[in-house]
Amino acid sequence: MGNIVLEVKDFSFKYRQTKRKALKNVSFQVEEGSFLCVIGANGSGKSTLCNALVGLIPHYFVGKMSGEIKVNGINVAESTIANLSSEIGLVFQNPFNQLSYTAGTVAEELAYGLGNRGVPREEMVEKVKYVAELMRIDHIIHKNPLELSGGQVQRVAFGSTFIMEPKILVLDECTTQLDPLGSEEIFDIVKKLNSKGITVIMVDHEMERVARCADQIMVLDAGEIIAIDEPKKIFGNPEIVKHHIGVPDYVKITQALREKGYTDCDIEVTEEPTIELVKEALGS
Amino acid sequence: MSKVSNSFVPKHTVIEELNPMTKILAVFSLGLGTLIFPNSWLGLFVIVGLFGAAAAAKLFKEFVKIMFGFGIPITVMLIFIQGCYSPKNVTFIADLGFARLGLEGILYALKIISTLLVFLGTFYIMNKTTYTGKLVAALTNSGLPPKAGYLVLASLNVVPQMQRRMSIIQEAQSARGVETAGGMLARIKAYIPLLGPVVMSSLTDAQERGMTLETRGFGITGVKQTTYVEVKKSGLDKVLNILLILFFVVVLLITVLMKMNIL
Amino acid sequence: MRIELKQMRHVYPTGDEALKGIDLLIDGVEPVAIIGQNGAGKTTIVKHFNGILRPTSGEVLINGESIEKRSTAQWSKEVGYVFQNPDDQLFLESVRKEFEFGPQQIGVPQKEIEERMAWVSKLVGLEDKLDMHPFDLTSTEKKFCTIGAVIMMDPKALIFDEPTCGQDVEGNIRLRKIIEELYTRGKLCITISHDMKFVVDNFRRVIVMCKGRVLLDGKTEDVFAQTEVLKESFVTPPPITKVAQGAGLKKTVFTTEAFIKVFEEERKK
Repeated sequence: MGNIVLEVKDFSFKYRQTKRKALKNVSFQVEEGSFLCVIGANGSGKSTLCNALVGLIPHYFVGKMSGEIKVNGINVAESTIANLSSEIGLVFQNPFNQLSYTAGTVAEELAYGLGNRGVPREEMVEKVKYVAELMRIDHIIHKNPLELSGGQVQRVAFGSTFIMEPKILVLDECTTQLDPLGSEEIFDIVKKLNSKGITVIMVDHEMERVARCADQIMVLDAGEIIAIDEPKKIFGNPEIVKHHIGVPDYVKITQALREKGYTDCDIEVTEEPTIELVKEALGS
Repeated sequence: MSKVSNSFVPKHTVIEELNPMTKILAVFSLGLGTLIFPNSWLGLFVIVGLFGAAAAAKLFKEFVKIMFGFGIPITVMLIFIQGCYSPKNVTFIADLGFARLGLEGILYALKIISTLLVFLGTFYIMNKTTYTGKLVAALTNSGLPPKAGYLVLASLNVVPQMQRRMSIIQEAQSARGVETAGGMLARIKAYIPLLGPVVMSSLTDAQERGMTLETRGFGITGVKQTTYVEVKKSGLDKVLNILLILFFVVVLLITVLMKMNIL
Repeated sequence: MRIELKQMRHVYPTGDEALKGIDLLIDGVEPVAIIGQNGAGKTTIVKHFNGILRPTSGEVLINGESIEKRSTAQWSKEVGYVFQNPDDQLFLESVRKEFEFGPQQIGVPQKEIEERMAWVSKLVGLEDKLDMHPFDLTSTEKKFCTIGAVIMMDPKALIFDEPTCGQDVEGNIRLRKIIEELYTRGKLCITISHDMKFVVDNFRRVIVMCKGRVLLDGKTEDVFAQTEVLKESFVTPPPITKVAQGAGLKKTVFTTEAFIKVFEEERKK
């Protein structure tokens, strides 16, 4: 068992302008180095949760809050968003709003957070180079961020959060502007970071990707946690799937094969094992 | 995708490489020097020098345009007003029929013009050869609070950003049957409904951006901000700084001496 | 509806050649999906269908008439365009006004607007939210508001740019209904999408773009059968199709039912 890096205790929040609570009595813990995916319909509270984890709630959004969130032992409500930034980083849904709008080039944009932290210039240049290569934006490093396409801005946005080296990464549908290949590239990077010990909390609509990446999946519906479990347990449970979530196509295939009696294996949630299972069923 | 307007184009000249603080010093030292000097000769020399500087900065054509474009009309206007109607006029050099042209007024006009042109010229060269990011970095290094630096940069970026948004929204509205091409009146009519979404989305964007900055560490307490943009102080900068200060001191001295009628 | 592109090129003012000589014919009302990598030219090509962009060279013909003959606003009667970001499109104080705006611009009588309002608002699922301010809608509802606003103009063809972007399960189901309904009403739907599941579920014709050219164009199952060419354009088939291909099934399938059917056929052999 690893250390607990994130602890949410009985957390509720209601935005000032809405009637309904966005999150209701949410409690969970996240271990260091784990990969937690958060799924649920639009309006189920996923983004609110992300905002709360990095301190935008209560420091930015006004509303009624109860319960507490601790990031690496720091009480979010008692710290500041800026000071939390070295512990936990968020990549927003809309990449254009993640730009600082003070940078004339992509390199400056990437370095912006480091500047706020007072990192010496030589170190900055090195890190910018490394992150730009990692995110495959080294060829546009001298371009004005305002001239980039949506996909490119998304890479810049991701890079400028990652460069801060937070111990926990929160990703709120951070690849909506990218094509499938581009998203895969980003998620491969995320997986690599995760295997090096960075904790990842990711909101995503694509169930195949969720099943492939996550150690644990959290299902939210109308602000409440329905379940937190391993991918197979979540997608194999019809009671959970009922809560407006999709399932990976692999689950549908393996379930159909089971129903027809072609296999007696458990469901599969990722591509490779499903292909193996189908091959085996074909052969028998 | 769209090209955004940006006043700075790198040309890799000596003047461009100078520390922005040197250029700011130049604006004030040359400008104020010309201002306090009792006659317009100094200003004229400085202006000639500025043409040289503009050429060195590969800005000669634009510089000529701006100096003459502004200089000629203002010269004609001021010489006419001051020359004909200044109360200082004692010595008259010509009779225009409706008014007489006075020497004192003309000299005074030339003084104002040369001062204005020195300020305009130095400021123009500084602006054209200095990347805003570098200017703010230099100012931050010399003690400008980060929040003020942010305001300068962010407000300079507002215009291209709005332009970008405006063009997207314009496309979206023309696809909804709003005629955005055609005559002046049609275009003004088309622009009015667009103002709503531009302002509205700018407001929501601004809110989201504010919180983004903080998640990227803006406002961390107890550290001195650093910048990616490199601001160097070269030997040339040091020499120029001394020369510029010396220039001002000497001008001040000469002025005082002249006023005391010693020179 | 007939959209025809002849040797059409588009070069941006920056000098980038986004489209490098496109020959394309879309005839009829069968839904068409356009797929391909970021920067392949998908958005650039569809922006020529209602004249937002004009060809640098070559021709774009809408029902035989050159695109150059009319302004975008005039074309909006024929070809509707739903932009990716709803915030660029919505600007009025209620959903109802958003729906009325387009038809009013092109001079549709008020009575007809009301009639359209009834079915459109139901189709996009906003019948109970007509008096709400668009900014108070959820992101999904906003998207459907922009879709509704364009359908209200009753164009003969509609273009959707990434309609599934940020949609959840229910949003996707509703989109499917809208595309079906438009098809039965004789409207042509052209959709740009990155979501391959959505593409194979809703479209019978797929155009694959790559680096400013049309790489593949044909029936959905034929296009996704060409795995080697698809790799070149960095398009990956949807998960079910990939599993079938990976397990060596001979036919290209898109649904679980089809998968099982083909599986059973091959197993019997």
